[in-house]
Order: sequence, then C-alpha cells, then structure tokens
Amino acid sequence: MSLDLSWIIHWGLFNVVVLYGIGIFLPFAFYRNAHFQNLVAHGAAMAASIVGVVLGLAGLWAPEPVTFSVLSNLPLLTFQVRVDPLASFFVLIISLAGFAVSQFAMGYVREFENRRSIGALGGLYNAFLLSMTLVILADDGFFFLIVWEIMSLVSYFLVVTEHEKPETRYAGFFYLIMTHVGTAFIIVTYLVFYQQAGSFSFEAFRHPAAPLPEGFRTLAFAAALIGFGTKAGIVPLHVWLPYAHPAAPSHVSALMSGVMIKTAIYGLVRVYFDFLGGTFPWWWGFIVLAIGAVSALLGVMYALMEHDLKSLLAYHSVENIGIILMGIGAGMIFQSYGLSNLAALGLLAGLYHTINHAMFKGLLFLGAGSTLYATHTRNMEEYGGLIRKMPWTAFFFLVGAVSISALPPSNGFVSEWLTFQSLFLSFQIPDVLMKIMLPIGAAMLALTGVLALACFAKAFGISFLAMPRSAHAREAQEVPWAMRIGMAEMALFCVVLGLAPMGVVPMIDRVTAPLTGITIAEKIVSEGGFALVPAPDKGFASISTPVLGLLLIVLVPAALLTAVVIGGRLRKRFYKTWGCGINLKPRMEYTATGFTQPIKQVFDMIYRPTVKLETEMLEESRYFAKRMRFETHIEPVFQKYLYDPVVRVLSLLADRLRVVQAGSLHLYLTYIFLTLIILLLWVR
Amino acid sequence: MVIHPDIGSQLVNFCSALLLLTCFAIIAQRRLSACVDLFALQSVFLAVTAALVAFLTGAHHIYIAAALTVVIKAMILPRILKAVIERLNVTRELVLNINIPSSLLVCGALVILAFYITQPIISLGFLLTKDSLAIALAIVLIGFFTMIARKKAVTQVIGFLVIENGLFLGATAAAYGMPLIVELGVFFDVLVAGLIIGIYTHRLQDTFDSVDTTKLTALKE
Amino acid sequence: MIESVVITFVQAVVILAVSPFIVGLIRKVKARLQCRQGPGWLQPYYDLVKLFRKDVVASTHTSWIFTASPYIIFASTLAAVLLVPIFLSTVPLNFAGDVITVVYLLALGTFFLILAGLDAGSAFGGMGSSREAIVASLTEPAMILSIFAVGLTAGSTNLSTIVHKTALLQGIVTDPPPHLMALAALFIVTLAETGRVPVDNPATHLELTMIHEAMILEYSGRYLALVEWASAMKLLLFLTLISNIFAPWGIATEPEPVWMIFGVAVWLVKVSGLAVLIGVIESMFAKLRLFRVTDFLGLAFILSLLAIIFFYILRG
Repeated sequence: MSLDLSWIIHWGLFNVVVLYGIGIFLPFAFYRNAHFQNLVAHGAAMAASIVGVVLGLAGLWAPEPVTFSVLSNLPLLTFQVRVDPLASFFVLIISLAGFAVSQFAMGYVREFENRRSIGALGGLYNAFLLSMTLVILADDGFFFLIVWEIMSLVSYFLVVTEHEKPETRYAGFFYLIMTHVGTAFIIVTYLVFYQQAGSFSFEAFRHPAAPLPEGFRTLAFAAALIGFGTKAGIVPLHVWLPYAHPAAPSHVSALMSGVMIKTAIYGLVRVYFDFLGGTFPWWWGFIVLAIGAVSALLGVMYALMEHDLKSLLAYHSVENIGIILMGIGAGMIFQSYGLSNLAALGLLAGLYHTINHAMFKGLLFLGAGSTLYATHTRNMEEYGGLIRKMPWTAFFFLVGAVSISALPPSNGFVSEWLTFQSLFLSFQIPDVLMKIMLPIGAAMLALTGVLALACFAKAFGISFLAMPRSAHAREAQEVPWAMRIGMAEMALFCVVLGLAPMGVVPMIDRVTAPLTGITIAEKIVSEGGFALVPAPDKGFASISTPVLGLLLIVLVPAALLTAVVIGGRLRKRFYKTWGCGINLKPRMEYTATGFTQPIKQVFDMIYRPTVKLETEMLEESRYFAKRMRFETHIEPVFQKYLYDPVVRVLSLLADRLRVVQAGSLHLYLTYIFLTLIILLLWVR
Repeated sequence: MVIHPDIGSQLVNFCSALLLLTCFAIIAQRRLSACVDLFALQSVFLAVTAALVAFLTGAHHIYIAAALTVVIKAMILPRILKAVIERLNVTRELVLNINIPSSLLVCGALVILAFYITQPIISLGFLLTKDSLAIALAIVLIGFFTMIARKKAVTQVIGFLVIENGLFLGATAAAYGMPLIVELGVFFDVLVAGLIIGIYTHRLQDTFDSVDTTKLTALKE
Repeated sequence: MIESVVITFVQAVVILAVSPFIVGLIRKVKARLQCRQGPGWLQPYYDLVKLFRKDVVASTHTSWIFTASPYIIFASTLAAVLLVPIFLSTVPLNFAGDVITVVYLLALGTFFLILAGLDAGSAFGGMGSSREAIVASLTEPAMILSIFAVGLTAGSTNLSTIVHKTALLQGIVTDPPPHLMALAALFIVTLAETGRVPVDNPATHLELTMIHEAMILEYSGRYLALVEWASAMKLLLFLTLISNIFAPWGIATEPEPVWMIFGVAVWLVKVSGLAVLIGVIESMFAKLRLFRVTDFLGLAFILSLLAIIFFYILRG
C-alpha cells in the first residue's frame, strides 16, 4: 500500500509539472486560433488540477513524506520537493480551486478574445498555478524563493492584463512594490535559518546543527509574519490587496484571493510549527491572534463600505485571513502552554477555514466575474434584478454568500464554529490575562461574523434583487454554460465541506498531527461520525451540520405543509410594489450606500466619513431643488497615516541620493569600476 | 446566626457587581435626571453591601455608615442635584466629550485594568470581601472617567460622588470599614462638597449662562 | 430513538402552540395599562388562521427569494427552538448544536428576512433591512458572549448542559456577578432581537420608525402568517432562554412524563411573567432614536464581555 502511494506521488509530481508545462507552452503553437488556445490552455490546467487532487490526497494519506530532488549545477540550489501532509493539503486546495476556476475560465476568457492574446493569458494562468503548486512543494529555501518570485511576477502580469486602464497600472505597481517588500522579509527569515543551519534545505532548517538563539528565533518569527503577512494581506499590510485583486481578470482574482494568499498561510504554518516548532513564548501566539482579530474586523468593515463588487470581495479576503490567523494564533498560544490537544484544535480550525475560504471566495469571485461578464461594470449600484436575468449565477452567488456569512449548515459555519470553540476553551490556560484575551478575540469574531452577514445581504440584495438599476443590468444575460459549471463545482465543494465535516476533520488532522505531535480526529468526531466535539473530555460543546441540514430540509416542507393544511390551496395574485401611490422606479430603491449608511454612522470613529452635499435650487423658488449632488468618502486611514509618511521620507531620501545619479555615462562606469576593484580586494 | 463564609462572600460580590452595573448604566445614560436616579440607586446598593459586611463581620459601626449612606447619598444629595437641575433649567441631555459606545469600551478596559492592578493583592488576601476591592478600584476609575468624558457641571458632581462611592466600597472591602469618626468626617465632607458644587454651578450659570465647564477656559485672562 | 423523536415533536408543537399566546399576553398587558379592554386572548390565533386563509398578493418585482423566505425563516426559527431546553433539561437534539448554532440559525432567518425586505424594491423594505442589519450586528455578538459567560460555569456552550447543571444548583448560585451581567445583557438583546420597545415598536406602521414591520411590509396572506408566527416563536425562544438559563428550577431533569408536564406548567408561568414584564416596559418607555439604539446595544455588548472577564477574575 505504502509503495503504491509513493508511486502515485511520483507519478503525480511528474504529471502536474508536465501538464501545466503543456498549458504554458502549447497555446502559443495555435496562435491563429484563439478558441483553440483557450481550450488547450484551460483543458491542460483542468487535467493538471485533477492530477494535483490525486497527488494531494495521496500525500495526505502517505505514511511518510516523499522527497524528490534534481540537483543543479549552481551552488546552494537544489530543486528538491517534499510531499508531506501540510504541503499535500495546500496542493489539494490549489488543485480543487484550480479545477473549478479553469472550467470557468474556458467561458470567461472569451470576453478577452480579439482584445488580448488568449495564448499569453492562458500560458500565464498555467504558470501561475504551477508556481503556486511548486511554492507549496518546495523543500529548499532557495528554490522556494525562486518559485515564490515567479508566482509574484506572473500574478503581476495577470493583474495588469487590462493595462490600458491607469488604475490597473497603479494597482499592479502597488502590488509589485508590496510583494517585493514582503519577499525581502522572507529572505531575512531564511537567512536567519541559514546562518545556523549552513544550508538552505528545509530539512536543515528543521533540524539545525545548533539550536537557534532566542533573539534569532524572535527575528525569524517577526520577519516571517511581515513577509508572509504582506502576501496574505494582514492589516496594516493589506492596502495593496483591494486594488490588485479586483484589477485582475475575474478568474485570476478568484485564484489570487482564494488560493494565492493561502500560500502565505502555508508559509507561516511551515515556519512557525515546522521550523520553529516545539514551544514558543506566549506572546507570539498572542500577536498572531491580535493581528488576526484586527484584520478580520477592519477587513469586514471596509468591505461594507465598498460598492465595487470585486473590491468588496477583496476586503473580505482580508477579513477571512484574519479569521484563519485567529485559529492559528489560538493554536500557538495553546502550544506555548503545552496544551497540545487545543493547539491541534486551533490549528485545525485555521486550516479548515483556509480550505473553506478558498472555495467560497473562489465561488464569489466567479460570481462577480459572471456579473461583470454580463453587465460590463463592477459597480453594484448599477446592478439590480439580476436574479431574473441570471438565475443560475444568482443561486451560486447565494450559496457562496451563505457560506461566507457562516450560516448553518454551510462550511463557513463549521470552521468559524471551531474557531469560536478554540477561543472559548481558553479557560484551560493557566494565565488569567490570556484567559480573558481569547474571549475578547471571540467577541471580535462574533462582531465580524454578523457584519459579514450584513455585507453579503447587501451584496446579494442590491446586486441581484429588486429592479434593474441601469441599462447594463436590464440587458444582462445569463453567462455561458462553461462558467455556470465552474461555479456549480465550487458551490458543490462548499456544500460538501459543510455537510461532511466528519470527513474533512480527519483529513486536516493528518496535517496537524505531525506539527503538534498529537492526533485529535478520533476524539473530535463522535456520535457515530455525525457530530463534532472539540473538547470531548470536557464535554464542552458539539455541533452536527448533517443533522442541522436534515432538520432544515425537513422543516421547510413542514412549514409548507402547515400552510396548506391551515390555509388550503395557495391563491396568489401579482401586483406591483406599493410606492406611496406613485409608480415605483429603480431610482427610488435603496442603494448600497443607503443600506450601509447606519453602519457608517455607528462606526464613524473608524470610517471618519466625509460628506459633501451640493444643492442647486431653482431660480423661481428656493424650495425646489434643480439638481443635488451627494458625495461621501471614508478616510483611508492606513494610506494617510502610515504609507504616505513612509513614501514621503523615502522620496526625500531619494532626492538626496540624486547626487550620485548625475546622468553621466562615464560616472556610472566609474562606479562599476570602483565596485569591481573593491570586490577583488575583498575576495583576496 | 452563622452564615457559611462562601455564601457570604458571594453575596458581597453580588452586591458589588450591582454597584459596578449601575456605574455602566450611568455611563450609558444620556438623561441627566436619570443619571441622578442611578446614582441614588447605586448608593442604596452600597448601603446594602455595607450592611452585609457589617452583618457578616459583626463590625457594628458599619451599620451607622450604611444608614448615613442611605440618608445622605440616596436621599439628600439627589434632591439637591435635582433641585439644581430644575432651577438652572439645564438641558436634559448630557453633552459628551466621548460618545457612549467608546466610553463603554474605555470603561470595560478600566475594569480589566483595575483587576490587573489589584490581582496581586487579591491573591494574597483572605478577607471575604477581597474581590470587592477590584470592583471598588474600577468604580473609582470609572467615576474619574465620567468627570473627564462629560461636560456639564452636574455630571461632574455625579462623577465625583461615584468616586466617593467607590472609595467607600474599597474601605469597607479592604479593611472592613474605616473608624467611625473618619467615616462621619467623610460624609460631612461629601455633603459640604455637594453643597459647594451646587453653588459653584449656580455661579457658572450666572457668569456664562451655561453649566458647560469647558467655558471655564474663558477665565484664564 | 423513538422517545427522542417524540420529545422533539412535542417540543415543536408546544412552541408552535404557545408562541401566539405570549404575543397576545403582551398586547393584553399593554391594553390594560392603557385602561383598555384589549382584544381577547385568542386573537393572535384568529389572526394567524385568517392570514393563512387569505389570498396572497405578491409584487411583480419579486423573485423566488421573496416566496422562499417565509418558509426558510419559519424553518430556521423552529430548528433553533428545538435546540433550546423548554420543559426537559436535556433536549434530544443537544448534540446537533450549541448556543452559537442557535444564534447563527436565527441569523439565517435574519439574512433571508433582510433579502426579502430588499426584494420588492420598495424604499420601506430597504430601510427596514438596512436597520435590521445594524441592529442584528450589534446584538448577536452580545448574545453569544452573554450565554458563553454563563456557559463557563457549566463548562459547556451546549444549552442543555448549561440548563441541566444550573437546575442542579451549579450555575447562578455559584457565580452570581457574571450571571447578573449576562442576564442584563441578554435582556437587552431580547428586546432588540424581538423588535420590542425601546429598539423597535411592533405596534407601529409609521414609516420613519419601523424596522421589522418595514421589512415585511410587502408580505400578505400565508407568507405574512409564517413570518409573524416565526417572530412570535423567536420572542418565546428568547424568553425561554432567559428563564431557563438563569432560573431553570422546575424543569424536568429526567424524561419522565409527569415531570415534563410539570415542567411545561412551570415554564408557562415563567415566560408569562417575563411577557408581562415586557408589556410593562413597552408601556413605560418610549422608542429610542435609531442612533441612540446603538448606545443601548453597545451596553449589552460591554456587559456580556464584562461578565466573562468577571468570571475569570473571581475564579482567579
């Protein structure tokens, strides 16, 4: 059996690379036929994703990690990959999402036919998926950094697909800078390990010759948090994310928001639990938890004020990364107090939310892509009534909205519930301060959860319900089948992850077991596999989403039956909505801005809104307005108070440095010459 | 009659918690007269707590203090304050320096802070009222915060009186009450302070046509 | 197994049957306090039957969300009720969900109610939905935290365990201060979530002030009946939570028929008492302005947080 799995893993590794490779290069062979290019590129990506799913599952169940390496001629660099449960789990996430997104892309990229090279788009898309898979699999620091950089660059190229728009160029540039700042910090992390291990191999990182001194461990912790945190979009390093993710083509947005930011979560778990494993000071976990809580709350709050559907979803990525980090942070706190059962629970909750978020965020971005495809605008205020034009898209978007709002029995509910439980179980921690801080985190999570509900009630209600608000929405048509099937697959993944936690928990348990040294799946899954009980020895709490699902499925017809028994046959008449005696027009509907107005007013400490109202009166009477203009903005706090000063200082310094940039070719040559001489002296 | 010390301690805690709850109610309240009522209610709770401690410890002089609390803080001072409010025709809504939700958050943080500060003392203590010490400190801090966060002179009086309540609770909790003569002195002080502040509020009204204490900055010439 | 199904079914029937009575009781109390006779005790039942039998008028602008929502709201509320101990301290469905599940099941109903409010395209519905969104986002965290504060004593967030242990004298008796704060918070949450004064006024149809009524303005006939019945159940659920979490005494701790019948009787007395209290509050206070409501709800949030802090502090 084990031999077979190892063979499958090798087969999978080979085929994933080959199939993505085909997807990268083959489309260029058909440069005349865009349609064919589309089929080849995304067909290859789908085939590779299926192989990736097999690879991930095999890696999860393999008894031992499988390594595979290709030596290169360059010093320090080995192309070594390692398939262990943690990596396999993330490969599974990438491949599952990749499969559905590729399916969707087959329909979606037709939008770009005649405008863009489909071959280049498809090739880059495959390269993006491949680089993400390799980032996860890499078992060597140098190799990791190379593929990480490729991933960043390829995603940059994808972000600037529509580079004729200035805001897209700005978004791409912003992203490029931030991601490189992040990469710099990751390099610092790895250098810290390298100076102790003497090699860039992850195996050496894991078991350094001499244990790392405390200061270096802390440095590695902080640098990894900033480095990976930039990619993940934690507050306050999130500012690039709401620009870059929406600017990309929607299927790429789905991958960036759903999957790419998860590579950063992977990096954090890898560094903290694998490399720095064992015990940490309690404040590491606390910092991760606090950053998670703040990111979650601010993410959802800014999302509420966003009326560009894709930006809204991007801000929700900040929120969900926060929720994931709350689980992981709670796990780290428990780990530092030696409560391995709970540490495993916290980590499990975080990873469960990771796969859930990949699915429902992917689904929602595909839904947003569909509305964009149909209406050619991202502004929610121009949607409305789309549920009648695009019933399928509306239904799938609703599934995603219910999931991300964590309503039972969806998958988001299961993972948020697990996070809640791991935060509430803080009463086992000996330290009183931490005992109190974790429930405060839970309070912020509760607030986040309900604000997310409000936000998606807005997103779905304003976009899909009521009357069309613009000509775009009136003329919308349902999207092609390829896109609908892609969304259906994602929705299916969401439903399965929600209704079958007893299957998912043991799977994630295989990931957390090597990291925390304890397996908890058998204890957590109880009642004949139908309920989850996070702390069985304490009898703390339990849920059972299959039973809840069943209950709802039984009770809805029961309600129907009650109505029929009491009231008899349904007699229904249709009449237009009452509008105080005048004909109801779309202009009278509640807008997204109006919907969130109370929230803006209640939390004005955070939003610091500015409102401008200009009224132009009729000349005849000052009681009748001719034209009114309303403008409202919220203050971009982080850009204004954190980034702008930094940028100002930097450009000031750059001004000073202009002295060396005289523009003379000879001077530059002199610089190079001097550098060369100094280097030669150094080497001697 | 002997009451099990655990139950006694629970009861004292319970009453102190009621005191803290009224503090939060005062912070969350926008109507001036309701604030005065809540302060009277808080004083009643304080008297009950003191009486309870007196009963449990047999320190009979605390009964006198409890009775004085009811008379002075729950009856006389609220009357004076209400008279001031009525006579000065102060607008009924409070003027806030800091809005209510944020004030509540700050007060929540103050409670944690109070517990954090008193924790070493609590863990050493053996008195049945030891937990009330933390609550007393929290009440003092919240009282202080009320004085900072609310603008009107009347609210500042209430803040001051809340601080006094907290101190009294602290004294009862930490030392089973102060010597009677000190307590009598304190009550006299409070009464006089109440009267003086009443008069001061009048002056403020006469001079500035308002009881907004921020107007006092105009006096600096 | 059969016993569990029967008990669950009986619980559903009891809740369905009693919930209109509570609504009627509050109306009656209010009427008497206003020196009116008020409608008869059975009026809410008549209203429901009448609404079920009436024709439905639906807006041409609506979609299937509008039609499906009443059923989903009704089902999710009923599902939430089945997780709450009413006359027996350990409900058969205990394993299926804890208090967080109850809150999120109610949130499922709220979500669809908000969507239904937006679906017809009328400005009233949108206004109600928008206000419901802010009220819900402030109350639901407070609700989770307040019950969690109580759950700490019982060592569980499962409602059945909490009620069972409190009934056996391990709850409010051993940790009064956190329970007191949690009770205050949960009471505020109850007023807000069930749309009572001072947060919302169930008796008004004044456009500018209504929240719940604005969302369901477009509903008629059986849809309205289902929504009204669901909100009556929600009210009863909250009253049951308050009475059974903080004073469960009298509830059956074993599934013995005699004790369960006794449990029903005691529970009826307790929830009726709370209903009278709500009626009195509605008569005494005026509705708050929407932006003052947030102060009120913020108080609930802070209180529930304090309850948790107090628990840890007092336990050390």
